Amino acid sequence: MATPIFVTAASIAAELHQAMLEAKGLALTAKNARALAVRAGSKTVGFKAITHFIDELASDIIRQSQYINGVSESLSQQAVALWRANTAASKFEWLERQQLPWGESLRESMQTCYEERERLSQLLHRGLRELEAQLEEGDKHIRTANLIATSSKVEAASAGDFRAQLEVIAHNITITASQIRQHLTNARRLLNQKQV
Amino acid sequence: MQATVIYEDGDHRWIMFGRDANKSGGIIDTNQYMIQSGDQAILLDPGGIELFAPMLSAVLKFVPADKITHLFASHQDPDIISSLGLWDQALPKAKLYSPWLWESFIRHFGMERIQFCPIPDEGQTISLGRIQLQFVPAHYLHSSGNFHVYDPKAKILMSGDVGAALEEPDAPLYVDNMATHTPKMRKFHQRWMPSNEAKQDWIRRVRQLDIDIMAPQHGRLFQQKQVGEFLNWFEELPVGIAVR
Repeated sequence: MATPIFVTAASIAAELHQAMLEAKGLALTAKNARALAVRAGSKTVGFKAITHFIDELASDIIRQSQYINGVSESLSQQAVALWRANTAASKFEWLERQQLPWGESLRESMQTCYEERERLSQLLHRGLRELEAQLEEGDKHIRTANLIATSSKVEAASAGDFRAQLEVIAHNITITASQIRQHLTNARRLLNQKQV
Repeated sequence: MQATVIYEDGDHRWIMFGRDANKSGGIIDTNQYMIQSGDQAILLDPGGIELFAPMLSAVLKFVPADKITHLFASHQDPDIISSLGLWDQALPKAKLYSPWLWESFIRHFGMERIQFCPIPDEGQTISLGRIQLQFVPAHYLHSSGNFHVYDPKAKILMSGDVGAALEEPDAPLYVDNMATHTPKMRKFHQRWMPSNEAKQDWIRRVRQLDIDIMAPQHGRLFQQKQVGEFLNWFEELPVGIAVR
């Protein structure tokens, strides 16, 4: 059965909310990594440099998740408004077919309703395209996260006594990136499912 | 729309939704609640049509739509359930529990897919996930067919309009001082609650429950100590008298 767009949009907002929480965890990982790199000194210069990228990536993902979350919530509200306008319009259309003696007295209200339906419909389609573009953008962040995770593993391997701890951090980055990717995939799946 | 977890024990949670700073002006502020247990969730008094989109958005941050299996409407008022026509689209497999008295009225809000489950006058107990919920009679408080929801495990009573106060959206979550809070409730209860007899019946019933939190549909929540103070205050308050 097709899902109403207002449910889909709210579900996407929820997925992005979860992605944002994961990204906040990533920012914390970056802070821990930096502290560890400072303690480890010269053996982890490469890792220390990477922590800046992790931090920046986390900030980017948080910012983008918040933005998509906002777009999705607006879409959900617009979809509800469109659903209400559609409901009203279908009643008006039925009334028009009845050719009532005073039917014309509804003309202005009907026209306003049809125009509103059209406006909301266009707004909704623009919003859906925007959402699709933003989710594409999210994929780029995930590719960056994977690169960072790989570089972190390489740098951890040459960190002497700190190797084990840095490997844990590299592993955390991989896991978090994978969880964020899953939320983005879920969001895209929701967007691609049949809508009404 | 703010969401606050007011109780949590494993997968058993109570979440309060409300204090919506973005809601349209002129609309009374309402508290909506969701109880989750296992794979199921119930929305208590899910709210008016104007609140539907922010409410759905807030709810889905905690639970996917297909896990919202039950709805509860304490009575027929628009701030309680006028969003039904939209929930009907969003949760086609859900069941709506509401006083039997209001079925044919509530259907005016639009309900083609959701199943209406009438609550008999004497109340009812249902299972939700791994817990049991009691629908406690609260007739004439204020509606002639009215129920509250008691969760004996969480020790929370959702008390609908009883205990309601009309306050600003930034009011604290819990009542901290009954002396300053009662003036905010007095007029509301005297005007909305029509029957002293029904009030006393409800107080007798509720005094038998073990309550840690009393959660009304408007205003602040009451913690254990304040629940007792509220019942004493309400017992002494003449209601159905705010006639000019």
